[in-house]
Amino acid sequence: MAQEEKAKEPAVTFTAKAGLIADPKPMEVHASVGDIKPWDADDWPRFEHVGKPRPRVEAPLKVTGRAKYTYDVKLPGMLYGRMVGAEIPAGEILSIDVSKAEALAGVKAVWTTDSRIVRFAGQDVAAVAAVSPEIAMDAARLVKVAYKERAFTHELRAAMKEDAALVYDLDKSPAGRGVPRKGNVVGPGGGPSGRGDVLKGFAEAEVVHEGTYYCPVHTHSCLETHGVVAGWEGDQLTVHTSTQGIFAVREGLAEALGIDRKNVRVLCEHMGGGFGSKLGPSASGSAFAMVACRLAKKAGAPVKLMLDRKQDQLCTGNAPSALMTVKVGARKDGTITAVHYKCWGSAGIAGGAGTAGPVGALHGKNPNLKVESYDVYTNAGPAAPLRAPGHSQGAFGIESAVDELADKLGMDPLELRKKNEASPVRLAQYDPGAKEIGWERRNKKAGDMSTGGLGPAKGAKKRGIGMANGNWYVFASDNSNAQVRIHRDGSVELVSGCQDIGTGYRTAMAVVAAEELGIAPADVTMRLGDTQFPEGPSSGGSVTTNSMAPVVRLAAHQARTKLFALAAPLLGVTPEELGAANGKIFVAKDKTKAVTFKQAAAKMSGETIDCLEKRGKQFETFRGDLAGTQFAEVEVDTETGEVRVIKMVSVNDCGLPLNPLTVQNQVIGAMIQGASWALLENRILDRNIGTMVNPNLEWYKILAPGDMFEAKSILTPVANLGNNTSVAGIGEPPIVPTLAVIANAVHNAIGVRIRELPITPDRVLAALAEAKRRA
Amino acid sequence: MARKPSPPADEGATLSFSRRSFLKTAGVGAAATTMVGVGAPTEAAQVLGPDAVTLSLKVNGTVQKVMVEPRVTLLDALRNHLDLTGAKQVCDRGGCGACTVLFDGQPVNSCLLLAADAEGHEITTVEGLGTPEKMSPLQAAFVEKDAMQCGFCTPGFVVSGTALLAKVPSPTLDQIKAGLAGNLCRCGTYGRVFEAVQAAAKAKRG
Repeated sequence: MAQEEKAKEPAVTFTAKAGLIADPKPMEVHASVGDIKPWDADDWPRFEHVGKPRPRVEAPLKVTGRAKYTYDVKLPGMLYGRMVGAEIPAGEILSIDVSKAEALAGVKAVWTTDSRIVRFAGQDVAAVAAVSPEIAMDAARLVKVAYKERAFTHELRAAMKEDAALVYDLDKSPAGRGVPRKGNVVGPGGGPSGRGDVLKGFAEAEVVHEGTYYCPVHTHSCLETHGVVAGWEGDQLTVHTSTQGIFAVREGLAEALGIDRKNVRVLCEHMGGGFGSKLGPSASGSAFAMVACRLAKKAGAPVKLMLDRKQDQLCTGNAPSALMTVKVGARKDGTITAVHYKCWGSAGIAGGAGTAGPVGALHGKNPNLKVESYDVYTNAGPAAPLRAPGHSQGAFGIESAVDELADKLGMDPLELRKKNEASPVRLAQYDPGAKEIGWERRNKKAGDMSTGGLGPAKGAKKRGIGMANGNWYVFASDNSNAQVRIHRDGSVELVSGCQDIGTGYRTAMAVVAAEELGIAPADVTMRLGDTQFPEGPSSGGSVTTNSMAPVVRLAAHQARTKLFALAAPLLGVTPEELGAANGKIFVAKDKTKAVTFKQAAAKMSGETIDCLEKRGKQFETFRGDLAGTQFAEVEVDTETGEVRVIKMVSVNDCGLPLNPLTVQNQVIGAMIQGASWALLENRILDRNIGTMVNPNLEWYKILAPGDMFEAKSILTPVANLGNNTSVAGIGEPPIVPTLAVIANAVHNAIGVRIRELPITPDRVLAALAEAKRRA
Repeated sequence: MARKPSPPADEGATLSFSRRSFLKTAGVGAAATTMVGVGAPTEAAQVLGPDAVTLSLKVNGTVQKVMVEPRVTLLDALRNHLDLTGAKQVCDRGGCGACTVLFDGQPVNSCLLLAADAEGHEITTVEGLGTPEKMSPLQAAFVEKDAMQCGFCTPGFVVSGTALLAKVPSPTLDQIKAGLAGNLCRCGTYGRVFEAVQAAAKAKRG
């Protein structure tokens, strides 16, 4: 992945219209040789398919139950596998007795771990494969493990104490040498390094706010649990898996099993949610895929091994907790002069719990920033990236603090943000968002519904409106390949291995190919999710569309060029004089002179036109970051403490949106998932026994239909010229502001700040009681 | 019982099980080695198992025989023995609705129902509601409104929505929320699902 990586020489230069569609400016970009002029602001109104709402192509399979997920795969003679996880959070495995499991009729293979150290409950210990899921469950229960328990630490703030039990002995830390470590606390390190001089900045400040904010651990809770179906034919391994990266699975399994990549085939046609937890060969806290391959080898039969819900909650990753101390200073006019951001996060037994991304990117006019970031070990499953990793938490910290600063300044929080805004895109996003939510109706004095347009209060129920910003990046993978194949009969295939994780990716790629070829998206058949196809990226970092759309367009363009060479003699012109749209190839100056796509294809000398292309480098872009802003209206019942979201509005930039129907679905989905984190989600480990109290979807609550609110997505199309399609990703950016937006809206409703998530009724009531006591 | 929450307007529609037969099922289900047939017309307890038994299940209009251990749920029988994989196991405890099927027209969580208890009843899965070539009006509305992302919860929502519209042809938004209250989606497609149900209801009204 490379952010804003510029094309290396040699390059070709294009001039195109860049920026917001409403206000484009000419810009020069340098592309790899062979790449083509980017779609720009002038192309936007002319598109036949790009930017038009279109139902996803695989939808009929999904709504009729015909879409086959890994969980649905059934092979002849297939066995059912089951993992056995550690029952204690810390200690040593003394023995694993599988004799009774092996002796059970129907059990075909057993695996046990070589590791003897347990650092979290749910860690892989053993696995079985049997002829039915019922027998596999019986066999798993017959595995007896003897442990020597050790003291453990279950939670971030507990782990930071000096007398906390050590997750790793001091000489066994996974953190690199030279990184400072004290007890379970590692750092400072990671994240943006800061800028300017904060001491000077705070000296210039006339108003300073300092606050501490906390987010608990969230789990991904993908509806399809992690799992594989693995089978061998000789030395050839075929693996169906629910993954965000089929090629990463191929690499990881080949390495773990000591076999060549060419002997591994990985397939994923549909997958039931990943959100960052399905990027590796197995999962962050389990090697279940490798285990399934070994069981299959041993048993001589394919093995299906899906984790159950509890296992999925324990060992497949989570979003780290975050404790953030934010100090922000400003002049009386609202000019922010300094931010000092100090954060601690726990990724369980892993590192990488930093949350400082948004602090580095938001309020970009602030010249003075200091960041200190620490990882804290706990005896819990290792974290995994979860949808804009660390950014929702970080935005909750900084955007809550900036809201509190606005309160101290007596300033409109929207005006404060505008004043310190460095992104021209976000500046253009504020007013449409504010208008949609009705920003002028907010309580001018927080908690007082007689000071805005929301009142009067209905009994104990008070309403408020809040806002917050989010940032994200433009990532792209050069390792993105696509093949466009036009058959003699005029039918078209688009072939590339990269998986569709449910974003509408395959529909968007059909749109790109169709736009370039001048045919209907429905006439492009996409083949994907197979490592035997040309290689593509893992779907992490909102990278997929941004990586693949340009190479799909390039491959389609090359195929079109070959087709034009066939069509030109039929029309008595040169290929350069031709255009393509609506299933026809025509003379650009006189569209009545035309042949159909099929007529041109019939002229090919062989059976197919086949164009395989590799993605060029990312161009210089109009913006290397993605701006977003969000607004929410909430209602808080001051008697029960219940918070309900009434409406949310998200304004986002993803370059030129290829298919607004699926793009907006993702944006709205991010608001819903974010609201779920803000109000409900909290992974709780028992402080006495160190195991998860709520390893299900019943007590680990996620937002349900009854909690739903009006959710509105506004897209600001930007011709960013970052690649030949001017697209960027959208999966992650819209969840970055959401925690802060809801917290800020709750404050506007009740006049009391909740600094610890989730905003549950008990916390609301406690905060109200505390405010009353102080008053 | 595996019954799902009903919309406010739902009245009178009940399953034919007595509380007593429910308790019997729950008791032996936990023992997992023997079980009592419920839903049978007589009060006499029939002991099945522990070995596999042959059951006749009427699914999507066709009676099919399956040989399963008595402890096997309807969900597992459908998925592992009848190759009907539309219904999904997500939470495995009746909390998410991904396994919803129609049981004599009523939406139930098939993960909470033993396959043996489904004998003599009409089971309809999402596959029985339409095909990709000939979708039901609600399925077509899900496609049109893009009421899905990863799609793993979608079959459950389609079945719950179908049951809702059968009872309440023109549901209000609150009735839709209540009718779908037992279904969870992680991608966040609820709003689009509501729109699809409203669109299908409107299309039926004409």
